[in-house]
Amino acid sequence: MTAVKTFKLNLGPQHPSTHGVLRLILELDGEKILSCEPDVGYLHRGMEKMAEQMKYVQYLPTVDRIDYLAGCFYSELFCRTIEKAMGVEIPDKVKYIRVLLLELNRIASHLLWIGAFLMDLGATSPFFYAFREREMILRYFEKLTGQRMMYNYFVFGGVRTDINYLEDIENIIDILPQKIKDYEKIITDNPIFLTRTEGKGIIEQTLAKNYSITGVNLRASGVSYDQRLYDRLYNNIEFVPIVLDGKDSWSRYKARILEINESIKIIQQALEKVKQLGDLRQVLINPIRLKLPEGEYYSEIEAPRGLASCYILSDGSDKPYRLKWRTPSYYSVNLLREILRGAYLNDAIAIAGSLDIILPEVDK
Amino acid sequence: MDKKFNYEEFIKSFNVIGVVEDKILFEKDIHDAIKFAKNTYSFDMLKNITAIDKQEQGIEIIYHLYSTENNENVRFSITLQDECESVTDIFKSAQADENEIYDMFGIKFLGNESLKRLYMPESWQGFPLKKDYVQDDTRLAWNDSSKDV
Repeated sequence: MTAVKTFKLNLGPQHPSTHGVLRLILELDGEKILSCEPDVGYLHRGMEKMAEQMKYVQYLPTVDRIDYLAGCFYSELFCRTIEKAMGVEIPDKVKYIRVLLLELNRIASHLLWIGAFLMDLGATSPFFYAFREREMILRYFEKLTGQRMMYNYFVFGGVRTDINYLEDIENIIDILPQKIKDYEKIITDNPIFLTRTEGKGIIEQTLAKNYSITGVNLRASGVSYDQRLYDRLYNNIEFVPIVLDGKDSWSRYKARILEINESIKIIQQALEKVKQLGDLRQVLINPIRLKLPEGEYYSEIEAPRGLASCYILSDGSDKPYRLKWRTPSYYSVNLLREILRGAYLNDAIAIAGSLDIILPEVDK
Repeated sequence: MDKKFNYEEFIKSFNVIGVVEDKILFEKDIHDAIKFAKNTYSFDMLKNITAIDKQEQGIEIIYHLYSTENNENVRFSITLQDECESVTDIFKSAQADENEIYDMFGIKFLGNESLKRLYMPESWQGFPLKKDYVQDDTRLAWNDSSKDV
């Protein structure tokens, strides 16, 4: 009997489907993947080390860059941790403005994922459709904050300016539901799409928990855990976390589509509340003299890619003694070791793409 | 399985030094404690592992456990010098965290064979997030006194 000849394939780092620079070292037997070893770190910017050398207010603009597709979430997370430490309660209007922008940002992020995922599978048109709708949201953000991706709009204790151009948001949530239906008509039951995604990249519940997978990926495996349910920002807002039982790539796609619809509902509610409340009255924390009291501070948020958390240990000075980010994509990359094993090479990109990995977030 | 976490009961069965808010401080046996918490109290997720360089006291490692059934958080903490028990056999996600801590703090996790340089290049000397780390790499232009930057 001859020994099985295996060989190693280097996938990436500059591969169009890796959404950044991710290198996967695959060991193959023919087209079957025997093992996968992810190699990360190409985008390492030392976010945690940087924090120790900067004042809190100096660090604030950089946190949007951890995840460039969902900058709002990390901004909010950082501001929230500081507010917790200083014992500041943000006014209701600020809460609803933040919810509004977070959910808009979540939709933008999910839309990009839908486009990019379909592109990974070889379908080019959905990419343009998704980007067309995403553009409306980015235009709005540009109008409001002056930036398309790195908003730097949330500050300690509030937001930078009062919200404006609400008719643009109304316009977006009027148009989006019909567009989502259009996507579903093209994609959801498409036979080619089904063969590439249905039953592929199965993540069992225990496996997902064991690998600390959170967010849509976990909920598409049937675990009902959405941090928004325990989030004080979403206290007076009604929504249902999307939980599907399929466990495969298709369920993760469907869950994201449904989550966009859910986000639209949240935006409608937040928009009503923002309109009811009058002018913005907020008491900001003075960022120049900001010193956190000694102690540990920890907060969490449901980002588009899963649970993100921020931990600050302060020694009473104007810089953090230690700052730690939990970035959900890092755990998804780690999961690739497990779910790519036994799959075929042509499915590798489809499976990796379905996890919604974003590399700047992995490398921090 | 579906059992609410009971601090007093848990603290009795293990040799703990103290409790700070939701953080339980251990001196040793962190591996057994995490295994016990997973099997007895349905803490089915290890959200993350954080390491902090406390200089003279050593390096503190914090395990953040979570129960998806009861929505409960608990943190275990241990302070040590340079070696720690690996928990990769209990939670697979620890592989990612332990590797990151090895890369940034130089802690060796006993039982985890696949530790390697993660973010830093293979040839990098020193561990960046340690407080005594000096950025004097002469490959960087601003550290090389012979060059005028």
